Amino acid sequence: MSAPHGPVAAGGAPLQADGAALPAAAVVDAPPPPARRRGATRRMLRSPLGVVVLVGVLWFSAAFLVMPNATLLLATFVPDGRLSLSAFERLLSSERALRSLGNSVLLAATLAVTVNVVGVFIVLVTGWFRMRARRVLWLGYATTFVYGGIVLAAGYSFIYGRYGFVTNALAQWWPDLDRDWFSGFAAVVAVMTFATTTNHMLFLSAALAGIDHQAIEAARLMGASTATILRRIVIPALRPMLFAVTVLTFLTGLGALTAPLVLGGEDFQTVAPMILTFARSSSSRDVAALLAILLGLATIVLLALMNRVERGGTYFAVAKVAVPITPQPFQTRWGSVVVHVLAWALWAVYVFPVLCAVAFSFVDARAIMSGSITAADLTTDHWVGVLTSADALGPFVVSVVYSGLASAAVVLGLLLVARALTRWRGWLSSLLEYVLHIPWILPTILIALGLVMTFDRPRLLVGGQVLTGTVVLLGIAYVIVKIPFTLRLLKAAFAAVPDELEDAARILGAGQLTTIRRVVVPVIAPTMAAVAALNFTSLLDDYDAAVFLYHPLFEPLGIAIKRSTEGEANVQSMGITFVYTVLLMVVQGLVLWLVYGRRGAGARRRG
Amino acid sequence: MRAWGRRGLRTSVALLLAGTVLTGCAGGGEPAADGDAAGGDQKLVVYTNSNSDGRGEWVTAQAAEAGFDIEIVGLGGADLTNRIIAEVNNPVGDVVFGLNTMFFEQLKAEQAITAYQPSWSDEVPQEAGDPVDGAYWPLVDQAIVTVYDSATTTDAPADVSELWTNPEYAGRYEVNTALGQATPQLVVAGILAPYTDAEGQVSDEGWAAVEAYYANGSPAVEGTDLYARFERGEVAYGVTPTGGIIARDEEYGTETAIVPSAQGVPFVTEQIGVIAGTDQQQRAQEFIDWFGSAEVQGEFAQEFNSMPVNEVAAEQANPEVVELVGSVQRADIDYAVVREHIGEWVERIELEYLP
Repeated sequence: MSAPHGPVAAGGAPLQADGAALPAAAVVDAPPPPARRRGATRRMLRSPLGVVVLVGVLWFSAAFLVMPNATLLLATFVPDGRLSLSAFERLLSSERALRSLGNSVLLAATLAVTVNVVGVFIVLVTGWFRMRARRVLWLGYATTFVYGGIVLAAGYSFIYGRYGFVTNALAQWWPDLDRDWFSGFAAVVAVMTFATTTNHMLFLSAALAGIDHQAIEAARLMGASTATILRRIVIPALRPMLFAVTVLTFLTGLGALTAPLVLGGEDFQTVAPMILTFARSSSSRDVAALLAILLGLATIVLLALMNRVERGGTYFAVAKVAVPITPQPFQTRWGSVVVHVLAWALWAVYVFPVLCAVAFSFVDARAIMSGSITAADLTTDHWVGVLTSADALGPFVVSVVYSGLASAAVVLGLLLVARALTRWRGWLSSLLEYVLHIPWILPTILIALGLVMTFDRPRLLVGGQVLTGTVVLLGIAYVIVKIPFTLRLLKAAFAAVPDELEDAARILGAGQLTTIRRVVVPVIAPTMAAVAALNFTSLLDDYDAAVFLYHPLFEPLGIAIKRSTEGEANVQSMGITFVYTVLLMVVQGLVLWLVYGRRGAGARRRG
Repeated sequence: MRAWGRRGLRTSVALLLAGTVLTGCAGGGEPAADGDAAGGDQKLVVYTNSNSDGRGEWVTAQAAEAGFDIEIVGLGGADLTNRIIAEVNNPVGDVVFGLNTMFFEQLKAEQAITAYQPSWSDEVPQEAGDPVDGAYWPLVDQAIVTVYDSATTTDAPADVSELWTNPEYAGRYEVNTALGQATPQLVVAGILAPYTDAEGQVSDEGWAAVEAYYANGSPAVEGTDLYARFERGEVAYGVTPTGGIIARDEEYGTETAIVPSAQGVPFVTEQIGVIAGTDQQQRAQEFIDWFGSAEVQGEFAQEFNSMPVNEVAAEQANPEVVELVGSVQRADIDYAVVREHIGEWVERIELEYLP
């Protein structure tokens, strides 16, 4: 699915005394999203900037969001000019499909709770409590940024699965152990909970860092305990951001693919693998589209609910001139001990699979799979194989260029759009917003197919060009799949820019564009950078879009990885996958460092 | 506030700069590609699903020696077929090889390939390719067989169907539930073949057999090799293409034996064809003449332990491979019928029979 899975997000302890906190501080500041304002649409149409944005969005949506998907859905549901709705019957008569659908929703709902519990805990121990070695803790929790997908699931399976070495060790002490203890619903929830706290790490940490220290001091002086402060001040202030990350978590759960495949066993399969299988077969594509649309409906219901709750709530307002919070000391000794033990135990859970992935990349694949590793199985063959293969570097460069361009384009392009949508909240902006969320409803693979089929002939909307078979189409697809995620977070950031700031700029004579460039963008730049980094890392090893769209001369990384791990005679595929995982970790870690690391260092220097 | 803002601005400037640099790179790449396309001596784009294990690199190098400047586009079978069909109005590739008969039938039905009779056409048996229209021609043969390790498993059934009819074997054989892939689809085609009439209607017994097959099997584990599961004693039997057996016996120290099948086993015959609408038809045909020739196929077979369909080339193949492939009988499967119905069969299995 096009929902953000796996590696997403960063941020936290090292930067909370620093500027990254601003947008989130502002998010907390934000009043509840106002209801539509009367006359907003008319005002939008009167502003030159509004018109430009409107025309741009309408063109892009028509050309790349509506037309390709409409083409595909028409070809799917109206083959030969006759409407065919047999997909409904076929689906409804299948017990397995309905069960999988139910499992996906169940998983999403469960994750919405568990990820929030773990995520909030992580955010508190890295940003709120005065913990020992907070930076090390933060780095451990941030591993989810660079580690996800099939390798994460496989890694957990090699450690805790039927023949994993933890299971083997346990079985020696306790021979009656059920070797399948780590499978099914509980295992999937556990793995996905620990793998998807990245959004909390990034956005919730920033929001926490923005809470006004003075408010907390005041509460303390009035005799409030830590628990009371958390419950009455901190959590309510974090609520808007909690809603946002809950939506993202829910989507991740709905689109869960690899964890259920590897760890779900027979009892807990989700619907995403079924959608992928059906999307690849022309006769079953209608069922795939129908399943995807059903998941999309669940998302829309959730979004609507969240919007309602968000609007109805009243929020704790913090001062405009916020004093950044400082880590809070523990009030009781046993409280400190409990939190430390829990935090470090959790840290071990996070770090262990990553260390294993690095180790596995040096181990003979056969030994990994059989579950018993000895010193004799150590090898550098996989590394030598990957690094010396004829075109080891090319795909990396191609993917870095595509992901870099697409993530920059989508963030910069949506900058004005997000501003227009928050500024002029009328029926037109609501409509645009829903259209821009289309990529969340359809799986990437269907979006890609729609693009190929639509642009295989000259199209007026793109200046009479044929785009199929050119290098641009994959870039466009990458931009498309990243629109909803980027839009939601940019909108949150924009909502947070105080109106007074803009008014002041206008009174001083700044034009609209100058205001945006000199006042608004600097305020939301950290969010822009964070979102761009997240988009970049998640596009880096994409396979679903690339498979139909990549240009023969520019092979992206996802395709190269898949190729190097397949083949009838290739028994070392797992080891090679781990090598690529480690390489990806390095690249993604570098991006994380570029966006956050140096700033953290600066904060310490000034500290 | 100002310090924050400035740092934020610096980050965005850095991002913008990075973007510009990247654009520069991409910009640098594009004209090169266009230049290639415009020049007289274009790169021949070869689509294949048979480029893993170093085969893609080998073919590219050999082709360069023979004077062909080719670019391999390697994707999985189902994805590649979908891609060629989606591109049918504006093809990117010139030649496609490696896909099995079922996928080539699909390409033919969508008019994505054009017929061409290669120079080596009388060195291959007609029925291995497309005897009706000659739209595609056979290169390499593989049997899809059910195997076990004869060193550790001694109670092999007399016929493969006993695995799912005899309760003794329940849960002891691996079934691949990734039905989007070619091999599991062919297994289904093989099981259903005896129960399918000429129109593609499957009898109830056929569906009962498929249901029993999946209900009694142990689903394949994503990311875990069949032979690794043999080694752990998790399953004793499983399906694999003959192409990987020799490498695995070496790797795992197993002694692979094949479970006999009275119905015969499905064969994957990798084919080659010209993509319809290519602007390099002549060159594409020359490439096929070269690649399918006894000499090149013979060398390919020696290099990758494959079983060439080309009878002259087969003499150069590894005798072990020839024996392995020769030891099983080809099941009688009508691929035109299978092509037409495999989608709905897979859908029915996915929706109703998978565990």
